[in-house]
Amino acid sequence: MKRAEQLRLLEGLHTVETVAETLRITPQAALNLLGKLKKEQQVTVSGGGRRKRLYKITLRKQLPRVPGMFDIINKYSPNFQVNPWYDHQVHGKYGPEEALIDVLQTESFRLILASMHLFNHITDWPKLYQLAQKKDCWQKVGALYDVARMFMKVRKMPEKYRECVKMRWLTLTQLTKKNFPEISKIWKVYIPFNPNDVRQAL
Amino acid sequence: MITHKDQLELFQLISSQLDQNVECYVFGGTAMMFYGYKGETKDIDLLFQNISAREAFMDALRKLGYSESSPLTIYIPEKLKDKHAPIMLKRDESRFDLFTDKIFQTLLSQKMKNDLFAVHEFKTKHTLTMKVLRTEFIVMLKSVTERNKDFEDILTIVKKDKNFAWDYFIDEVLWQTAQGDGWVLLDVEKMMKELKKYVFIEEKWFKKLYGKDKK
Repeated sequence: MKRAEQLRLLEGLHTVETVAETLRITPQAALNLLGKLKKEQQVTVSGGGRRKRLYKITLRKQLPRVPGMFDIINKYSPNFQVNPWYDHQVHGKYGPEEALIDVLQTESFRLILASMHLFNHITDWPKLYQLAQKKDCWQKVGALYDVARMFMKVRKMPEKYRECVKMRWLTLTQLTKKNFPEISKIWKVYIPFNPNDVRQAL
Repeated sequence: MITHKDQLELFQLISSQLDQNVECYVFGGTAMMFYGYKGETKDIDLLFQNISAREAFMDALRKLGYSESSPLTIYIPEKLKDKHAPIMLKRDESRFDLFTDKIFQTLLSQKMKNDLFAVHEFKTKHTLTMKVLRTEFIVMLKSVTERNKDFEDILTIVKKDKNFAWDYFIDEVLWQTAQGDGWVLLDVEKMMKELKKYVFIEEKWFKKLYGKDKK
């Protein structure tokens, strides 16, 4: 049987036994085949030890990834995960500061909600401020920070960054709701989510 | 020929030579490598939204020893007369085909911009952002470019992509035709007829394609 045909039959999640059964071969032959497919980057393995080994088999190569915006969000927001709608990868230096700015550009309600956990991992405030200034979104960062600190543990933002020129009203998403009116007024930012939404993201 | 690893290293190197941030759309063999459909490629097809971005990218390539080459033997002469024909830069075995605004007559639609498969950012001093198009768009654009091996690539995609959305694909072809693209419909029809010899394509997709013709 040709490799392409084998892959088409096997595409999905398997154990050694199901591979052997699908291709009608012995478990040892299945193991050998999985080893070859792993070398060809068509298989990734999970489990092992006490847990059963699971083989994810795909028709296309499973290339190694470098983390992007969604990976960072999901890493720091364990209870409120986001399903990526495209594969974002950044080759180069990329941390919570860069991810937060990228999130704000998406204007996605769920993503921005999940990104509030990043404030506990911001270590380089000058860098965040500089990145935000470039994208003209420091007001949004400030508003999001103030909402986040009401509900979760966050790292302290230096006071000097509170003083910035707030010329016009900005929106985080397309919604122009005035939740958290005090924070909204201070930063001149429409905050789309209410306290219940934030509690869900904790 | 360059491999996936080579291309990542090459893009990182290009980003280090850039004088400004550059954003482009990836749709040829390079895109297929990002998908994992192909192990290596000769040509790197990129689409820029404006000439200044392409110029900045070309400057970076020139710094790395790439020089302009003729597209005459690669593309059909009739298509090369189009003002949106690509500029080609070559060095050794690798070649960049650089388009701006359009791929011949085919527009970069809003759907193409919004519905991406992946975004790869190469960060050094400046950032090179490469947006990888969906397979449906890659197939459509490969039908339009009609180079050697383009059909082989289309066949690979359609065979390997179980979720290939014919409906979505034909909608885009018809939209491009409505926008004044005089080639895409004919090129796609020709490609689908050839493709039918190798894979099963439902008759309704041909009907949908012809339906627009009758109008």
